[in-house]
Amino acid sequence: MNERILDADVGIVGAGPGGMAAAVELARAGLRVLVLDEGARPGGQIFRQLPAGAAGGKIAEPPSHHHGHALLQQFGAGAITVRSQAVVWNAQPGRLWFEQEGASWLLRCQRIVLAPGAYDRCIPFPGWTLPGVITAGAAQVMVRGFGIRPGQRALVAGTGPLLLPTVTALLAAGVRVVAALEAAPRLAALKALPGVFGNGARLREAFWYARQLLQRGVRLQWSSAMFACEGDGVVRRAVIGKVDRHGRPRRETARTVDVDVVCAGFGLVPSIELGQLLGCAIARTDVRGGWCVTVDEVQRTSVPSVLAVGEICGIGGGEVAMAEGRLAASAVLADLRGGEVPAALRARVRSERKAADAMLRAFPPLPGLYELADAPTIVCRCEDVPLAKVREAAELHGRDARGIKMGCRAGMGPCQARICGPSLQAMACGDGRVPMDAPVVQVPVKAVSVGTMLAAPPG
Amino acid sequence: MTDTADIVVIGGGIIGCSVVYHLATLLPRDTRIVLLDRGPIAGGTSGSCMGHLMVTPDTPQDYAFSATSVRLWQQLHEQVGGFEHNPTGALYLADAAEDLELMPILKRQFEANGDRCDVLDGKQLQDLEPGLAADLPGALYYPGDGVVLPMFACGALLRGARAASPNVVIRPGTGVTGFDIQGGRVAGVRTAAGVIQTRRCVNAAGVWSPELGTMAGLPRLPIYPRAGNLAITAHHTTPVRTQLLEISYLRFAHGAATVDPTKTDEDPGGHAVNLQPQSNGSCLIGSTRQFRGMDRTLNPELLHRSLLRAQRYAPGLAAAPIVRTWVGLRPYSLDKHPLIGPWPHLDGMWIAAGHEGLGISLAPITGLLLAQQMAGVATAVDHTPYLPGRIL
Ligand SMILES: Cc1cc2nc3c(=O)[nH]c(=O)nc-3n(C[C@H](O)[C@H](O)[C@H](O)COP(=O)(O)OP(=O)(O)OC[C@H]3O[C@@H](n4cnc5c(N)ncnc54)[C@H](O)[C@@H]3O)c2cc1C
Ligand SMILES: Cc1cc2nc3c(=O)[nH]c(=O)nc-3n(C[C@H](O)[C@H](O)[C@H](O)COP(=O)(O)OP(=O)(O)OC[C@H]3O[C@@H](n4cnc5c(N)ncnc54)[C@H](O)[C@@H]3O)c2cc1C
Repeated sequence: MNERILDADVGIVGAGPGGMAAAVELARAGLRVLVLDEGARPGGQIFRQLPAGAAGGKIAEPPSHHHGHALLQQFGAGAITVRSQAVVWNAQPGRLWFEQEGASWLLRCQRIVLAPGAYDRCIPFPGWTLPGVITAGAAQVMVRGFGIRPGQRALVAGTGPLLLPTVTALLAAGVRVVAALEAAPRLAALKALPGVFGNGARLREAFWYARQLLQRGVRLQWSSAMFACEGDGVVRRAVIGKVDRHGRPRRETARTVDVDVVCAGFGLVPSIELGQLLGCAIARTDVRGGWCVTVDEVQRTSVPSVLAVGEICGIGGGEVAMAEGRLAASAVLADLRGGEVPAALRARVRSERKAADAMLRAFPPLPGLYELADAPTIVCRCEDVPLAKVREAAELHGRDARGIKMGCRAGMGPCQARICGPSLQAMACGDGRVPMDAPVVQVPVKAVSVGTMLAAPPG
Repeated sequence: MTDTADIVVIGGGIIGCSVVYHLATLLPRDTRIVLLDRGPIAGGTSGSCMGHLMVTPDTPQDYAFSATSVRLWQQLHEQVGGFEHNPTGALYLADAAEDLELMPILKRQFEANGDRCDVLDGKQLQDLEPGLAADLPGALYYPGDGVVLPMFACGALLRGARAASPNVVIRPGTGVTGFDIQGGRVAGVRTAAGVIQTRRCVNAAGVWSPELGTMAGLPRLPIYPRAGNLAITAHHTTPVRTQLLEISYLRFAHGAATVDPTKTDEDPGGHAVNLQPQSNGSCLIGSTRQFRGMDRTLNPELLHRSLLRAQRYAPGLAAAPIVRTWVGLRPYSLDKHPLIGPWPHLDGMWIAAGHEGLGISLAPITGLLLAQQMAGVATAVDHTPYLPGRIL
């Protein structure tokens, strides 16, 4: 019965840049490393690998991705056990329970490194639930992970540094980008500069993106957003226009463009639920995407045997994740084998974080974007709850996440408010006076079957 | 800030909401009724439970009380609306031989109260619910039960109260921190946002009601939290259409607890399956019972046992994804019956609490009996067995 128990020195959740970098270093030092990842192939969100033999050919990539390819290669060559399509649904210090192909497994390990990445932040607007409207992240997954072209004529809109890779991925896949809209004012580009200039790699990256757009004749339009998407069953048109400096739509500027795919990207939200389940302390930082798992100067969480790297500690991008992965590996080694964590690794994380923070600070959350939605706009997609009901619930039941949930079921569905949670309070209360609640989490952190829960090997 | 009220109701769970609704409909329209909850409305036990509207025929008294309440839910659904109400009835299932013996007992109890329930053999049960295990010996079907979505029912009662009276004030996020007492009676309720002067208040704070009593300097109320672990499946995965319970539930839930509820580390806990299909096709799986104080962390052991039993009855559940699990705290009263009426030691202090696992079912009759007592009119059913004085 209990043959589904695995043992390793270190269990890593997530085979993105953070998890892979940690795994490579730990395996190199001779530790037994087991990496669990939900995806079909290692790589995480950024270094997506096409399945073998997939159509689509090579996608143009920014220079930093060479690091990723090198990492993927080391990862593949290292003495690392990887379990793909493995969903971690329960955790305790030293224990990770996961489901893989319907079977229920337990991994026992001395240390856990959490590298579960982030979710797309969704901001609802009229028509965002129409087929053909996808997140910027999903667009990249389709192009870079599956070699699928999501449409012919695309609108890319939202805010933050992730819009550019979305545009270039679409262009590389042969999609016409009708418009690329950034809600932040042009000033943001200037504000981001210090972060870019301090960091050679980022500077090269910025130039690379600028050149890609220039070559294809795509101009990023600042202070602009999509106001609504329209269509008969699928998206056909998008209403776009200017926004003020808070992101509030200036309706008088509205115009319509014909499109067959809309990619909306409003940044990322750290995926902290495994950390919370393990009892790790969390803190809110607006710059880094909201609630994050708190770590010390060598990536240790408040729970002794649990470390965290990458987006779970705050949005920062692939370079941050890799640097943190290496640092965490070094901290685990120092801890298990004695020795010091090289100062250079710490310094690297600090400088990558600094650059990333500067970039993110230039694109702060724009509360006015929450005014895009109107009363019938669905806010919670899982439970099909429109904004009008969310407001009613907040008015009667209370203006915190729980009140809203109790009054209209928003956040009770399969995503457990991971998608709508950040919007709910902002939209229902609007005035910013209500402090955001910390999300709550229970077993299972990802939906798994009753059978899997029952067959779970006891810890 | 100072405010005044004719009546302050403390606790926005199903009981407090029903009290407010019935006060608003029964008292003159100029009565100012303020509802306070320190959290959101329906954020306590009433948002962490199941919504079985259950008629309990154990005694004629129980029957009159619960059947009237379940009928009142039907009326509220028709007159107030705005919440899901599904009169599905309930299936009582058995597996073990000692549980099968409970079937004729339960049937006789319903019949003794002039009600009916149907005996289904294995084949009839399969025809009614093909998702159940084929080897089940049969079931009792009681048509009188229903299901509500408790959180929405709370909201609906408050909307109904507002519609009935312009002087209903609802204040979530306003916790009570103390009481002003003058000349041996209530004079005010203190909150972080200021004092509300009032001569009457109702303690409807469920498992927290003893805390409030203590704030007023009263002896501890004999109400204790009894934890229940629940799990819910993804949409469109329920293997059954009718809500069902293991008949052993009766022995387990309605019998007096065999453990001392004040000894929170001695109760091994127990479980009886309760499957409740929801309108979106998910299936709520309950439920366990254990005294362990205010601890709301999951007991994986008990949940495991309860899921195992659920899968025994409905094998298709094995493939259903669990979206979430949680724990709710039932307000168990030491003599198994709720406390509804004036608090004998302090004028102006009323109580409506201690409904254990039946608070949703009994909310309408509780609100009605309390409002009728406060209004000084005849009560719909005999209220004397529920007077707090019996155990205070
Ligand atoms: C959709 C999307 C697109 C992005 N595009 C870019 C881009 O173009 N350029 C850029 O610089 N940055 C991009 N980013 C940011 C980039 O993903 C991160 O900076 C980087 O990948 C962070 O690395 P990470 O190791 O923290 O997490 P990730 O790379 O996200 O890896 C986390 C991995 O953990 C797995 N996982 C999570 N939870 C579990 C669980 N419970 N059980 C099992 N596995 C789990 C996930 O499936 C994933 O494979 C994007 C992010 C997202 C979400
Ligand atoms: C697992 C489980 C399953 C159940 N299934 C069913 C079922 O199927 N059918 C059924 O009929 N019953 C069921 N019940 C029982 C039912 O849920 C309870 O009896 C009922 O919800 C109790 O309601 P209440 O209003 O007394 O308490 P609560 O809903 O807990 O309301 C009390 C309120 O008081 C507030 N409060 C506390 N302290 C203060 C303060 N100082 N100031 C202001 N406000 C305060 C709290 O925030 C809370 O909102 C179940 C219970 C559980 C746990």
